[in-house]
Amino acid sequence: MDDEISGSFRRTSSRTRKVASKMVAALASSDNRTQAALARLEALESDNAGPEVIELNDDDDASLDEDDSVHVQKRQSKNTKRRTRQAKALESAKKAPRTFLELLQEANLESLPPHVPSYLRAGVGPPSSTSRRHFCTVCGFTANYTCVRCGVRFCSGRCQNIHNDTRCLKFVA
Amino acid sequence: MSFDDSFPPFLESIKSLLEGKLFFVTKEREQGRGSGKWREMPNVVVLDNGGGLCKAGIGGDNNPTAVVPNCLGRPSASKKWLVADQLQACEDLTSATLRRPFDRGYLINPDLQKEVWDRVFRSLLHVDPTASSLLLVEPLFNLPSIQRSTDEIVFEDFGFRSLYVADSPSLVHLYEASHRPDGLLSKAQCSLVVDSGFSFTHAAPVLQNFTINYAVKRFDLGGKALTNYLKELVSYRSINVMDETFLIDDVKEKLCFVSLNVSRDLQIARRRGKDNLFRCTYVLPDGVTHMKGFVKDLDEAQRYLTLPDETLPQPVEKKEDGHPEFSEKPEERKRIDLTKTEFTLTNERFLVPEMIFHPADLGMNQAGLAECIVRAVNSCHPHLHPVLYESIILTGGSTLFPGFAKRLEKELRPLVPDNYQVKITTQEDPILGVWRGGSLLASSPDFEEMCVTKSEYEELGSIRCRRRFFH
Repeated sequence: MDDEISGSFRRTSSRTRKVASKMVAALASSDNRTQAALARLEALESDNAGPEVIELNDDDDASLDEDDSVHVQKRQSKNTKRRTRQAKALESAKKAPRTFLELLQEANLESLPPHVPSYLRAGVGPPSSTSRRHFCTVCGFTANYTCVRCGVRFCSGRCQNIHNDTRCLKFVA
Repeated sequence: MSFDDSFPPFLESIKSLLEGKLFFVTKEREQGRGSGKWREMPNVVVLDNGGGLCKAGIGGDNNPTAVVPNCLGRPSASKKWLVADQLQACEDLTSATLRRPFDRGYLINPDLQKEVWDRVFRSLLHVDPTASSLLLVEPLFNLPSIQRSTDEIVFEDFGFRSLYVADSPSLVHLYEASHRPDGLLSKAQCSLVVDSGFSFTHAAPVLQNFTINYAVKRFDLGGKALTNYLKELVSYRSINVMDETFLIDDVKEKLCFVSLNVSRDLQIARRRGKDNLFRCTYVLPDGVTHMKGFVKDLDEAQRYLTLPDETLPQPVEKKEDGHPEFSEKPEERKRIDLTKTEFTLTNERFLVPEMIFHPADLGMNQAGLAECIVRAVNSCHPHLHPVLYESIILTGGSTLFPGFAKRLEKELRPLVPDNYQVKITTQEDPILGVWRGGSLLASSPDFEEMCVTKSEYEELGSIRCRRRFFH
């Protein structure tokens, strides 16, 4: 990875270099932090719980659902058509978990001439002012400090401790 | 203000549609109904198919017959998947697994959509698709591949007689213009529709019932992201509710509001005891005595409404120690740990909707609502600017937060030239606004002519037919 390259351009204090060597991999290079920010935004669009929970459920579901539909087929032949159709829909939903971003890529909107309005051109774009208010991730109040490892904000020593104990590097892969 | 001269003549016909020909035919339909399960009249199904809620009904009615979640869900206790209204009826939705046909506001899973529509058309609306037309509301800038699969469902799976595809801003404009015939909105035939829905927020200028598509601006933040954000905050700070989408939706709707002055309100949120006007408690369902969560003390939750607009009210007693949370938080946490059935919200109540105005605070590289509006207006012809600023219509479920319009005006005013007026109109029911516009359009006498019929679709295919809808 080019973590180290981008990392060397980042302004770091001497203090962060004293972090134990095994932390170096996890040390917040700017790339890592962007990743964390993206993962954070991705999490806001997720449907139910964390993705890993869904994954676990899914494996169970798959077998359960199939069993279920088989049972139903045996028991009541009247209802089979509807039941299997629904099961099929759910199954295909699992098999082809197409996201909107994939469809967007497929649509190849970049190739349109610049005067054609499209999904991409309707995006509002970056804010005029880059100033960003920071809120403490622990208690929600204005945060003045940044975690040296993951870049998440906190407001006080107390919140820093909580942060370090619980969610530091949560969104970093 | 007269804009009439500057418009090309072909728009006149659409204008005339608004001025005289449009009317409700509700009464007529009421008479035709009630005789048997199937309605004999050729009717129009109006379907506002949102990412969160699916609003469906018969054209000409005042309200949709069905407003149901557009998803399939399975409660943790059962193996059976529940569709749409079954989810609303289900008592225990704790840790329900959800499958949505929509992702980021666009239809990605036609199979799941088919399930939901099947339920809506056959069990809730009792219509026969082969004998009805469909007015379908699609998101702006729908991708061609999604349009194709939508057409396939509409014509091939359900076999609708004909289809009209509309976009939400033009319908909202239509509805508002017909309800305020003397307003500037209907005189100038031009408005700026701000639609903050489930998946994203659009600012869309509408002129003569057409959405000006090159001027539409969007940022990717809507009700879903806000609910998830609140879910994250509550899970981290008090109780793990990451699986409780429906519960947190309820919390968001009942307790969140838009702050008019964030820094002041943050100060108030730090206070202790009765001085903290924002603290309130939400009781989780226990599965025995109550199946739904509720706000513990409604008066307590409404206290923030007594706040003056600008000034910082003095606390009743002075703070003795410098850092109030030190003394307070531990005891609060203890209480929550002991009971485990309720959680307390303070600054989350206004910091969550705050993200609509400043997505940058979340780390999104996108401008907030006020700037989004300004950019949308600036993409239009300068002659339209004053009218657009004076006829801003708010629609969509996420505009329901108390204080939304006031805050928007406060943010917008400094960005708008001072010789222009800013006027923000709220809809009486922002969730149903689009549907009602669709109902109005469906009852216009020219509606059938605007549709694409099944035979046209079979002959020409999806893409050629879509050209008729201009978007």
